[in-house]
Amino acid sequence: MAYSVLIVDDSPVMRAFIRRVMALSGFELRECLEASNGLEALTQLGEHRVDVILTDINMPTMNGEELLRRLGTDGVLKSVPTLVISTDATRDRILRMLALGAEGYMTKPFSPETLREELERVLGGRNG
Amino acid sequence: MAELGAVAAPTGAEVGEQLIDIFSRVPAEVLETMFFTEAAASPCTHDWFADAVAARVLFAGSHAGEMRLSVSLEAADSIASAFLGVEACELTPALRVQVVLELANILCGAVLSHLWPESKVALGAPEMLVQESVPAAALHRCFELPEGKIALWIDWSLPAA
Repeated sequence: MAYSVLIVDDSPVMRAFIRRVMALSGFELRECLEASNGLEALTQLGEHRVDVILTDINMPTMNGEELLRRLGTDGVLKSVPTLVISTDATRDRILRMLALGAEGYMTKPFSPETLREELERVLGGRNG
Repeated sequence: MAELGAVAAPTGAEVGEQLIDIFSRVPAEVLETMFFTEAAASPCTHDWFADAVAARVLFAGSHAGEMRLSVSLEAADSIASAFLGVEACELTPALRVQVVLELANILCGAVLSHLWPESKVALGAPEMLVQESVPAAALHRCFELPEGKIALWIDWSLPAA
């Protein structure tokens, strides 16, 4: 089964890296959408249905925390699993993002295998 | 973002063996895991700095300070190629810079979270730097890569009591 993924990160090279490691890990992509901040992500989500959202936290315009808050108040989008990918590995931050509704939290650095495992977990083991 | 020197600098006791170990081990793990290259802590030779790509990340919160990164041109090409999965000849100067900034961001986050797991620290956006001299810092380490070298410095202060 192939999935549609939305990557939200203000760094274009990080978005390219995530796309690359998903392919390297054998994760089956049907469609890969991108946004450089939370606001762009909400626009994309208004136009496309995705299976999972991968989001950074620190971004201009709308950060990952606010994006999670907005998703949590949307009747449809709150059911889309969100995986946070961040350099911030502090306990407070992780707990806060999980409390806002994130299904998982990955800290950088991460390997292609770790990303695939987390994607499989939040998607309920339906990949591969 | 706080500037360095606002409060007391770290004491010798704080820069213990455990911190030195983390500062040697964590960057090598980052480079291996996300940049697909090996890095070994090496003796410092700073003659390559003049042409290096340099960046820094400021941080503030329960610890405040900065981390600086210098990457030799050979290492910058190698790291950017591996990170993006492209040939070195396909790299533009802008792509190379963006990857070095991302490396600085990841290194800073990883090192800080290992140094002080219970801290509350916010990272600033990584920025390019013209490094004219070798900075003085609480911790410094040079690494040898298969292609080129990188060097890291981190300096911090604790909140005023």
